[in-house]
Amino acid sequence: MKLAWLACLCLGGLLFAGNQESDLNVNRRYTVDTVTVAGKGWRTNVTDSHSEKLSSGLRKDLAALVGQKLNPGVLDGLADRLKKELSAKEVSHHVLRADTPEHVRVEFEVKQPRANIDATVSKAVYNSRDGWSGAGAVGFTVQHNSFLFGAASDGDTLMERYAGMSARYENKHLGTDRLGLRFQAESYHEQWNQNTIDAAAAHPEETSATYRTRQNFQPTLTVALAKPLTLEFGVGFQRFENQYPESHIEAANAFITSLRFHQVLAEVPFQQDLDADYTLRAATRMLGSDFVYTSHTAGVVYRAKHGKHQLTDAFNVGTISGRAPLVDRFVAGNSYYLRGWNKYDIDPIGGNRLVHNAVEYRYGPFWAFYDAGSVWDGGQPATLRHSLGVGVKESIFTLALAFPVRSGHVDPVVMMGIIY
Amino acid sequence: MTPRARETLVSRRSWLMAGLTVCLSSAFEDQPLQVRYDGDTLRVTAPSLHFLTGKALERLKDGDAVAYMANLELLNDSRTMTLRQQKGRFVVSYALWEERFSVTQLASRPSHVDGLSTQAAESWCFDSLALSTLGLSVDTFYWLRFDIHTANAREIAAEGMPGFSIARMIEWLGKKNSEQTQWGPLERRVRLADLPRLAGRGSRG
Repeated sequence: MKLAWLACLCLGGLLFAGNQESDLNVNRRYTVDTVTVAGKGWRTNVTDSHSEKLSSGLRKDLAALVGQKLNPGVLDGLADRLKKELSAKEVSHHVLRADTPEHVRVEFEVKQPRANIDATVSKAVYNSRDGWSGAGAVGFTVQHNSFLFGAASDGDTLMERYAGMSARYENKHLGTDRLGLRFQAESYHEQWNQNTIDAAAAHPEETSATYRTRQNFQPTLTVALAKPLTLEFGVGFQRFENQYPESHIEAANAFITSLRFHQVLAEVPFQQDLDADYTLRAATRMLGSDFVYTSHTAGVVYRAKHGKHQLTDAFNVGTISGRAPLVDRFVAGNSYYLRGWNKYDIDPIGGNRLVHNAVEYRYGPFWAFYDAGSVWDGGQPATLRHSLGVGVKESIFTLALAFPVRSGHVDPVVMMGIIY
Repeated sequence: MTPRARETLVSRRSWLMAGLTVCLSSAFEDQPLQVRYDGDTLRVTAPSLHFLTGKALERLKDGDAVAYMANLELLNDSRTMTLRQQKGRFVVSYALWEERFSVTQLASRPSHVDGLSTQAAESWCFDSLALSTLGLSVDTFYWLRFDIHTANAREIAAEGMPGFSIARMIEWLGKKNSEQTQWGPLERRVRLADLPRLAGRGSRG
């Protein structure tokens, strides 16, 4: 009997404790109808999977509130995550009555700072064959206007090692979120590998001579056609100061059009994303260009993520018709295409055809990749090359050992640094 | 003087009494801290002090729960020593659909009330604080002091009440370290012998 009373008392205590928790905030009894995140001039419903304002992880956590009883305790944590992700000055949350009785809607209000200063390192990579390459920028944003000033010394991406400065102005809200404007200016000094100097001199009909300096000015307009599809068009004015046979200036002025597509394919049972892009660069005498060529490049990236497992497949193709300067030709054997290969062995002046596929698998920080592709010139036979790599990747930091797959000998390349 | 006029005349004594009553009554009501004494305990009210206002009220109407810490003290006449003290920890929330307040007093045996108007919620908090007068001299002057401020989860948890750990308080109140708003302190000099004794449990006299 005593035990029965004791059990009753314990049960009563537990029931009281349970009620206490829910009674501290009476609004816990209401059901959440919608969750929205809003800033100046924009608003997004977190259940809308096309929303590009938020990362899929955060959007998923916010959407998980919908249909559940209100839990005010988690709202502060979510507001903190929004503040961090959106670089906001302040994120506050409001719970308001929904249209249905006993239902509420949660609104996160984002306040952006009047001026925001950013410093970014866009590339810092060491390749045991090409040495260090780095690029970074410092900028500030006032209202919708971003100004970015950068410096780079890159011996990895192109056939040339270029070093110099860049400046960019961007307005992502030209009256509406669907319209953006960007001006980009770059000025670089070049250093060349002897193989490239020799090959360029031997094939003047295919590309430009090696130049001493390169400047680029590129105004573009961006239009969000539909939520996942963006069109960018503009003009690129490139200017090269050549060394040989005597100092002279050449220009490659082109119309540029890009289409970009991003789609979250699924969130369950695992997250899948698709990115696709196509770029057309048409250099014409109409713009006073010395080079006349048309370049088409296209790429598709598919990503799937499930827990610690992450699979990425990136497929790229490109073709150039006409005579393009060295800077616009395709290069493989760098940190992006056919990793581990020597780009000067593949083609010291690059090619005007590109086909490449990269498969990457990650489990937590461990990373492996398989690259297959070819860079060649139209009319010449294409040689398919492969490379394999293993390493670790934590956030943006990468350490990898890449092996070009070829018969005869193994010549691994160490790559490490910040690679996006 | 006509009989009719005589009927409506008010005596000088009556005028004097009425005047004195009005003066005493208004003097009592002008006190920022009004005291109720039932012979055993002292309770206070502060008609001019409203803590369900301003930013705290904005947060409540945004669906947040807001914690308050109230402090009622009895000090000696020189205000150098605290003789009696009671702290009250209250969590207030505002039902968005019913537009009524809910108050929970956090204690080893919590008490809870809901469906209150602004005034009723504030009064409930005041009524929850009482100081025992046992052992106090009725002829000595004391000072009563009251203040209340908004508190965050850490501050409430720091009181060390069982069942109210910081993790649970953060879960209930959020981890926002909101700006603290304080009302008071309000003070009043009292002597138990001067206080009108309310009918109740009074054991004195």
